[in-house]
Amino acid sequence: MEQSTKKEKRGDRVVLDEAQRNRRSRKALDALEQDNYHEDPHANLIMNKKAPKFEDSLNTERKDRPGKRKSARDFKQVRFKKSLAALLEEDRALGTESPNYMTAAAPASKFPKRYFCAVCGMYGIYTCVSCGARYCAKNCLDVHQETRCLKWTA
Amino acid sequence: MFVLDNGASTLKAGFATDAQPKVIPNCITKAKSETRRRFIGDQLEDCKDMSSLYYILCHEKGYLVNWEVQKQVWDYVFSKDCFNVDFDSTGIIMTEPYFNFCSIQENITEIFFEDYGAQSLSIMNPSSLVAYKYLIDNPKKLCCAVLDSGYSFSHVVPYVKKKRVKDNIRRINIGGKALTNYLKDALSYRQLNVMDETYVVNQVKEDVCYVSLDFHREMEMAALGNSRENTIWRDYVLPDYTSIKRGYVRPPEQTTGKATSAEQIIRMNAERFQTPELLFNPSDIGIEQMGISEAMMHSVNALPKEVQSHMYSNIVLLGGNAMFPNFKERLVQDLRMLIPEFYDINVTCENPINAAWEGGKALARCKEDLDDKAITKQLYEEQGIAYCVDFYNLL
Repeated sequence: MEQSTKKEKRGDRVVLDEAQRNRRSRKALDALEQDNYHEDPHANLIMNKKAPKFEDSLNTERKDRPGKRKSARDFKQVRFKKSLAALLEEDRALGTESPNYMTAAAPASKFPKRYFCAVCGMYGIYTCVSCGARYCAKNCLDVHQETRCLKWTA
Repeated sequence: MFVLDNGASTLKAGFATDAQPKVIPNCITKAKSETRRRFIGDQLEDCKDMSSLYYILCHEKGYLVNWEVQKQVWDYVFSKDCFNVDFDSTGIIMTEPYFNFCSIQENITEIFFEDYGAQSLSIMNPSSLVAYKYLIDNPKKLCCAVLDSGYSFSHVVPYVKKKRVKDNIRRINIGGKALTNYLKDALSYRQLNVMDETYVVNQVKEDVCYVSLDFHREMEMAALGNSRENTIWRDYVLPDYTSIKRGYVRPPEQTTGKATSAEQIIRMNAERFQTPELLFNPSDIGIEQMGISEAMMHSVNALPKEVQSHMYSNIVLLGGNAMFPNFKERLVQDLRMLIPEFYDINVTCENPINAAWEGGKALARCKEDLDDKAITKQLYEEQGIAYCVDFYNLL
């Protein structure tokens, strides 16, 4: 277990193992479901100009939206609010029979996968040794290593 | 009757007597330029500057999770400012996603009967409404297969003798949202950072993306880069919301490939067809699922032999992704390669965005059919919520 999460070194290169590569690609797919990339533009709004600004710092962490009227929120709405993960969990607990959300997912294709260069989008015939991304030519590999490869490790 | 196709991206709403539904964004948006207010639904039209719009959506992967936002949007839609729906005299037909969760159905039922006081409520899958209308318009047909490719996901839903075959519904976890985000990623990495510009990139997607009919040849063409022989690339002028209110494609013969000082351009090359291609090959970005054409075959193959040919000759398209140029042609082309040649393929695609609403409108016109599918307020009060949910699941 411990072995699989450690980065393996091959020569002077760090090489990610299968589990890490999968985690990275899953993360990339999850990013496609994001509603917004940037933060709420109204989050730090202060209506009264005289009020001092406390959040002027360089702190760029995602914060809970302030100014959200917690007390005003209806009890009913709190009960309603469930994430999809919670809904799926509940569905499993209820034991909803066979044709359900989980069984409806289409299986994998029986055709071979195609690979595209992570940089330019053309056919990617080579694989980056470190992270497993595809690329098509030396130029693209250089760009890839400079910008993306291992830059945001999961 | 009021018909509400409650999509994850836009809701299509209107009275059954209206000619056309109103397409309203099903979200609350915040703009950088307007700090004093939030825009609910189509109030967004008041906003002059659409750059860096911030979306608060109420659906997660197609299922309703953010009720606070959804209620505000509904309140607005039914209010005097929008439709002025009087629930004391009207019932409502609305749509829900496939395999909707029990607790969501309970909440919807409760909200419409208790909060709004609707006279009757009918909750159906969008494809059921489309299939209903298709089988009424073509009375000789017995079966049809609906391909619903929307914002959150794509589904194949077969209907045999007006009945939904639940076991053969297939879902592919890719929809318009993923496509827009994919395009945003690709453009931001290769050219210009547009990560914050979901609204603009969505317009880019709608304006210049198309489905390729010969993927390999077009890849070769795109590989030619900026040369004149490459007929794929297009220069897209981005809006700046001062002089350019909406982005547009600059015709290839007029462009120099360079932006003038007052504008920003994006050159769309392979992205034009690679984006919608994900619907047909989700594995291209590592989603281990078959594409929509293959899923269609997979779903139909699991049906009895006798109905299979009827399925392929009665395919109906639904959902915004069907608006991509060549979408229908590509589906026919793919299916032709996958299925035996003695099966006829016939695909119908009429205004795929409004199709479900039109189906609801058709249903509202036929009182007998509507009575079979709706729960009246009285029935709700007598039988309670659990009965309603079972009723909707059996439709």
